[in-house]
Amino acid sequence: MPRRPSRRTQFLAVVRKETLQTARDKRMLVMLLGGPLLQLLVFGYAVDFKVDRVPTVVVDGDQTSESREHARGLMADGTLRWVKGGKSEDGGGSRNGRRSSSSANVAPPPVTPSVGATSGSPGAEGPAPLDRLGVSGAGPMPVAEADAALVNGDAAAAIILPKGFSRDLARGETAHVQVVIDGTDPNRATVAGAAVAGYFAEVSGDLLRARLAQQATRPATASGGISLVPRIWFNPGLDSPPFMIPGVMAMLVIIVTTIVTAMGLAREREMGTLEQVLVTPIRPSVLLLGKLLPYVVIGFLDVALALAIGAYVFDLPIRGSRALLAAATFVYLLSTLGVGLLISTISKTQQQAFLGGFLFAMPAILLSGVMTPIRSMPLWLQAVTYLNPLRYYVEVLRANLLKGAGWSDLWTQLVALLVFGVGILFVATMRFRKRAV
Amino acid sequence: MSAPAIVARHLKKRFGTFVAVDDVSFEVERGEIFGYLGANGAGKSTTIRILCGLLEPTSGTATVAGHSVAEDPEAVKASIGYMSQKFSLYLDLPVAENLAFFGGAYGLSGRALRRRTEEVLELSGLAEVRDAQTGSLPGGIRQRLALGCAVLHQPEIVFLDEPTAGVDPTARRIFWKLIRELSRGGTTVFVTTHYLDEAEYCARIGLMVDGRLVALDTPAQLKRTHVPDRMFAVRGPNAARASGPLRQVAGVRNVEPFGAGLHVRAEPGRCEAQTLRAAAGAAGHQVEVEPIDPTLEDVFLAVVGRSAKKEEDGA
Repeated sequence: MPRRPSRRTQFLAVVRKETLQTARDKRMLVMLLGGPLLQLLVFGYAVDFKVDRVPTVVVDGDQTSESREHARGLMADGTLRWVKGGKSEDGGGSRNGRRSSSSANVAPPPVTPSVGATSGSPGAEGPAPLDRLGVSGAGPMPVAEADAALVNGDAAAAIILPKGFSRDLARGETAHVQVVIDGTDPNRATVAGAAVAGYFAEVSGDLLRARLAQQATRPATASGGISLVPRIWFNPGLDSPPFMIPGVMAMLVIIVTTIVTAMGLAREREMGTLEQVLVTPIRPSVLLLGKLLPYVVIGFLDVALALAIGAYVFDLPIRGSRALLAAATFVYLLSTLGVGLLISTISKTQQQAFLGGFLFAMPAILLSGVMTPIRSMPLWLQAVTYLNPLRYYVEVLRANLLKGAGWSDLWTQLVALLVFGVGILFVATMRFRKRAV
Repeated sequence: MSAPAIVARHLKKRFGTFVAVDDVSFEVERGEIFGYLGANGAGKSTTIRILCGLLEPTSGTATVAGHSVAEDPEAVKASIGYMSQKFSLYLDLPVAENLAFFGGAYGLSGRALRRRTEEVLELSGLAEVRDAQTGSLPGGIRQRLALGCAVLHQPEIVFLDEPTAGVDPTARRIFWKLIRELSRGGTTVFVTTHYLDEAEYCARIGLMVDGRLVALDTPAQLKRTHVPDRMFAVRGPNAARASGPLRQVAGVRNVEPFGAGLHVRAEPGRCEAQTLRAAAGAAGHQVEVEPIDPTLEDVFLAVVGRSAKKEEDGA
């Protein structure tokens, strides 16, 4: 009879058992490999921080060719989309836009009077000649309508060009434009505001130059201003997927490895199999390493899968060293598996373990810079993010994949991950050993 | 080596204010089948878990297979097999994989593992189900597999915690045949059970009541010590009605219904079968009276009753 069983034999037995169990559990396999796939596609396609086509209503109180020109000009770059009483127009003006399915107003084609409209009022695009005749009548109604559109969400911005707008401009007086923006989505509001401001800054510049040219005896060269030409590196298209996918990869690894590890051990405790294993002479460290190894493999598979999808579906570049990527993934996995283990030592049931995993994963994701930049967090919270392994891994991924950053750029993150990983695993193993059952 | 397989000295385990095991001391000889009896919550499983190194005792010491449980738990674990109260093998793995895993955990590999796997499958009659998923097997077969996993590494001692709970009588019988075979092969068996008929198979029995070991001896000696009275079985068409007249017979301590008949307990030497038969006959009831041996059930009831009474008196 073997007095001191070989650790290698024990370790291999655990790895074999754990692998077989995972491989035989179809649902688990789907969760481990199919889930990440789905999440990646969903995040890649759905999460898009680029703001464009902000639905905008224009209240043209001026009703001149100039005011209409400006309204169209505002929509020209596609950031804003002109919505007119249920119908949108893409800057061009003459072309009919798609009919929006909004219930606010069933708009008739441009020329026909709005007979079927529930409110009985003509849309803002109502027959121009009529409006020009009854000048005063055009004003108040569309303003109320614009207000309603902002409230019910048909529009996120309203631009009000008051009566006399072009006259003021022509006289060289200051013309006023009111822009009302729905601020419920701050990001969208900022972008929409910037688009309007940008347009009118350009218009003002043009007017100013024109006026200077008129006043000057010699033709103005109209130069001498500061010209700003931004050049965007690494992601010139400012596409969201290349930015998002590294973050999603890091999230996936947490969800797969942390939660599954925590639940796996909790299940063994629940089923009583853990007790049966603990009466064998197997050492806790050997047992845990054997249990974790298959998940390290699965973690790598998930990362590889995510990279492949990123590359083929979302044009994610892989500019940096792959060895660095693998090393970072490995040290990151130490942390995520360690946390899973730690959670399993403080939970009695699978439900508790799941909840524990979730309670770790959520703040870890939110404080990682995946969704929102860390620099826009309050200082004390920024300090907390330094304790978040996810943060370092996301930094490594983004820098490595998008910028091709190398070992010398990223060694601090790697060291941080290694320290966290080894530390957490050590604490978890100690706790596991202490409260064996 | 003739040192005892298990030595427990003043074991005590306290959970909060509850004392699960209270000053328990005993020795188990090598190769013997040691039965550990008691009601639910009497401290049987706690004792086993202490001896297996799963639980640290609050005080007291235990030596198992010559190794101190506190100082060298790994050596203890390598020398024992354990089968818990709850079935605790992997239900999602085939029979052979469960054996392979536990074999590996005990350090068996390669040819040794294959040889032992075949032996265990053969011994426990599981050869035909070796590839079946464990969860699909009936309880009796699962228990045999659990025993198989516990003895794969040929331990000196096996601890079986209520191995036959919830198993049908046929399966129980097969299981006990296996236990006796193990014992014959030199393995010490420490077994807890609810079934008092099973306890008869044990060489010695320890009786636990409320965390204390209140009796420990061979089944025969236990009966003599704790049920010194003579027992008679009374049978007949009207046996039940004879209970009144039988109570009047000098020396009769107790008459209790048992099945369709009665069990009479009498002071030794004061009454014989004929006396009882005559007394019943005189009352107009024709009965058969036969001296019987007390069962362990009688012992159990006598001991538990006495402990309960002591407790009441003490309170």
